Amino acid sequence: MSPLLLVLAISVVIGLVMVVVFRYTSDQKAIGQAKDQLKAHLLAVRLFQDQLPVVIRAYGRIFRGTGRYLRLAFMPFLISLLPITFLIIQLDRYLGSTGLNTSQPFLVEVRADNADAANTLQLQLPPGLEKSAPAVHILKDHAVVWRLVAQREGSYDIGVGSSGQTVSKGVVVSKRLVRLSPVRLRGNFWERWLSSAEPALPDGTVVRSIAVNYPARNIDVAGWEWNWIALFFVVSLIAGFVFKTVLGIQV
Amino acid sequence: MKLRRNQILLLMILLFPAFAHAYAGPGAGFAVLSSFWTIFVAFLYSLYALVTWPFRHLMRSVRRRKAYGKASVKRVVIVGFDGMDPELAERFINEGRLPNLKKLRDQGTFRPLRTTFPAISPVAWSTFQTGVNPGKHNIYDFLGRDLANYLPYLSSAQISEPKRHLKIGRYSLPLGKPEIKGLRKGTPFWHWLGRAGIFCSVIRVPVTFPPEKFPGVLLSGMCVPDLKGSQGTFCFCTTRTGGGKFREGGIRIPVERNGSEFHSYIPGPDNPLGTGDELRAAFKIRPDVGKQRARLEIDSERFTLNVGEYSPWLPVKFKAGMGFTAHGICRFYLKEISPEVEVYVTPVNIDPGRPDLPISHPVTYSIYLAKLFGPYATLGLAEDTWALNEEVLDDDAFLAQCYGNHEDRERMFFDALEKTPQGLCACVFDTTDRVQHMFWRYLQADHPAAKDVPQDRRPEVIQNLYMRMDELIGRVMSKLDDDAMLLVISDHGFKSFARCVNLNAWLHQNGYLVLKGDKTESGDWFEDVDWCRTRAYTMGLNGLYLNLKGREREGIVAAGPESDALKEELREKLNGLADPELGTVAITGMFDCDGVYAGPYVDNAPDLIVGYGAGFRASWDSVMGKVTGTIFEDNLKAWSGDHCVDPRLVPGVLFSNRKITVEKPAIVDVAPTIMKLFGLALPSYFDGKPWAVGARGS
Repeated sequence: MSPLLLVLAISVVIGLVMVVVFRYTSDQKAIGQAKDQLKAHLLAVRLFQDQLPVVIRAYGRIFRGTGRYLRLAFMPFLISLLPITFLIIQLDRYLGSTGLNTSQPFLVEVRADNADAANTLQLQLPPGLEKSAPAVHILKDHAVVWRLVAQREGSYDIGVGSSGQTVSKGVVVSKRLVRLSPVRLRGNFWERWLSSAEPALPDGTVVRSIAVNYPARNIDVAGWEWNWIALFFVVSLIAGFVFKTVLGIQV
Repeated sequence: MKLRRNQILLLMILLFPAFAHAYAGPGAGFAVLSSFWTIFVAFLYSLYALVTWPFRHLMRSVRRRKAYGKASVKRVVIVGFDGMDPELAERFINEGRLPNLKKLRDQGTFRPLRTTFPAISPVAWSTFQTGVNPGKHNIYDFLGRDLANYLPYLSSAQISEPKRHLKIGRYSLPLGKPEIKGLRKGTPFWHWLGRAGIFCSVIRVPVTFPPEKFPGVLLSGMCVPDLKGSQGTFCFCTTRTGGGKFREGGIRIPVERNGSEFHSYIPGPDNPLGTGDELRAAFKIRPDVGKQRARLEIDSERFTLNVGEYSPWLPVKFKAGMGFTAHGICRFYLKEISPEVEVYVTPVNIDPGRPDLPISHPVTYSIYLAKLFGPYATLGLAEDTWALNEEVLDDDAFLAQCYGNHEDRERMFFDALEKTPQGLCACVFDTTDRVQHMFWRYLQADHPAAKDVPQDRRPEVIQNLYMRMDELIGRVMSKLDDDAMLLVISDHGFKSFARCVNLNAWLHQNGYLVLKGDKTESGDWFEDVDWCRTRAYTMGLNGLYLNLKGREREGIVAAGPESDALKEELREKLNGLADPELGTVAITGMFDCDGVYAGPYVDNAPDLIVGYGAGFRASWDSVMGKVTGTIFEDNLKAWSGDHCVDPRLVPGVLFSNRKITVEKPAIVDVAPTIMKLFGLALPSYFDGKPWAVGARGS
């Protein structure tokens, strides 16, 4: 399936689901009233424009009303925040980056606990991958960067050795829509949850992270390059607006 | 990778709650977008206001200096209580029940206020707003008569179909909006004030439909139609079969059983696409007999009602096809669920939040009020007196409806008061009129309609009505400063309506009105009247018409000496007409319109105005142009009080927080008085004279 179709389909479904979730997790009557009050105060500014004190009071009420409206939308926001966050993070692993191309150089960056440990790092490559340049040491970051190139498509495990211990990291060379993990990390559950799709590195190793710089994916819509999140945001909003009108839901 | 992670973190956490809100999906995203949109619009408008403020301020200052330069008040507040009676007000003040009106009486002014000929609300309030007699504003009754066919029409406004239509198959698409023509002539005094730069808020003054453009805000009152175009057609949905047709004002609709559900509908306007059928909005009822309640469903609205309870105002859509939808609002009242199912539905009012016809100026004013306070009654005669007359509603249900509308009106009025720190704020409350019409039998133990009145509540209802209005006045007074003038006025007072007089029957029995063949009674609207031999007829509440040659289609009385002689003859015979059963005078005055009216529209006036004595009024049949066998009969309807009598018997009230020194103030004087208070020159055509008004408490 093309990434564009996937994003569109997901956005429409999420638009519908979230509007329905909003319907059942919000105080629809209060939201309706808050919106009506806001509209009334806006109209008051126009209707009584020559009565300065009336206009100033109306502005005050508009700002108070906006605050009330946001407060009423806060609970549904909280409720929808977690599942949507989870979903977006998962989708980002498919849609955020593209797989590597054969003959296209890419970087593997390995960070260690300290500069000494970084100096001992060794890269072990499976058949099909090879170095295209010597390693670069970045001392202040305790990091070593290798430039590699893939000979053919496939899923590979590269190894990083140090002091007799070896840890691995997956690398995908493919044009298909596949799940990608741009980084493998040690410790820090939340950071791993947000950006990695692989198990944590073992605690005893000196390696803190192994990252592969997959190219960012842009989706072409009528000649415009879109980040999938931006496209998701726009399409799901439009879908939500349509569904809320059809279903008579106050948002 | 780092960038992507940061994007997510930034979106979700750092910019919390705004973008995270949007990011968390469309539901929450709307909230933020809508709020920002509101603020954005407000900001744009503020910017515009700020940039143009110096110019507007300059212009306003010049206009205001001119406007208020000679004014002796900063603000005038007019509270109109339709039908408040000076005798009852004085009685309740003396009994200590109306402390705020007493304060006005003692420190300011209290006088009877002379009303118009006839003493009917549309006539009197038209005179109030224009400062002229009916000969110049063209309103003589609720109804006028069509000279071409002797049929009635609403005297205040005419609504006609758009002129152009596009035929597509069986549909006839209207190209344009319905044409609404106001029939009241003359210029309301708030137009003069507005043009002079004095801001006016005018709420529900009768005969202000269609709303006219002026520099201020106005919500139309009495004479605004319902969505069907009538002056109020309620709907009584019932499983009971039989039951006669309602005399007027209501339709009986069958309720069909379908398993445990009941189905019925609300009739709406005719299909605007010219298919000839009536639009309908179906609804369902699911009774729960054990709990004495029912679940009702109409469109997407679902609600539960207990027996004896009203729903809130609910939106009703009448879909005509091809995207045409009429929008209305109505309230349901669950009357019974066992053994029969009966639901009363109010007339379908024009939705103030989405008005299909303009009911305010500017159009956004009715929308503003609907957004601020929720939907409200827009029908001119919003209190359903017909439903009580026809015993579809009981006394308590009717009172609940009246006070529900009254509370809405109060909210609008106090908002207008707040929004009008300078200028004119005028509001008319109808509850006083409707409750006195329907509950006068509570005041009068020997009224023919008083037999079912609970003994313990006899005086209470009307007393409470006056006390509530007094309490309202107290709240108004607390919001006024020394520069403000308060006027509390009514258009007429009230008297009992115990006996009906069918003047058409009298005219028939005395040879002035002739029926075809050997008929002794006619149908409604002069069915079976032989116009070629008829010299006089009555229609409406107080007007008596000659069948004039060259004016009426089949007129036979020549204008001039013949018509003058006939008028004189009728005046002599009818003035002092006695009720043989009671031995009291039923008609205390017959007024020649040539003597009481002057102006360009006198040709539309009745030829004689009938002044009924206290306790009498035109019969229900006579009003509808029907000849019956008897002239006098008891009035057994709940509509037991009235004011369509000799206008000298039913003056209105005039209270003010200022001393007004005038011998006999009249409602026609209000407009010139207000204009003089604001220092404006009076138009030469005014019939009223401005009062001498002292300072507050002087």
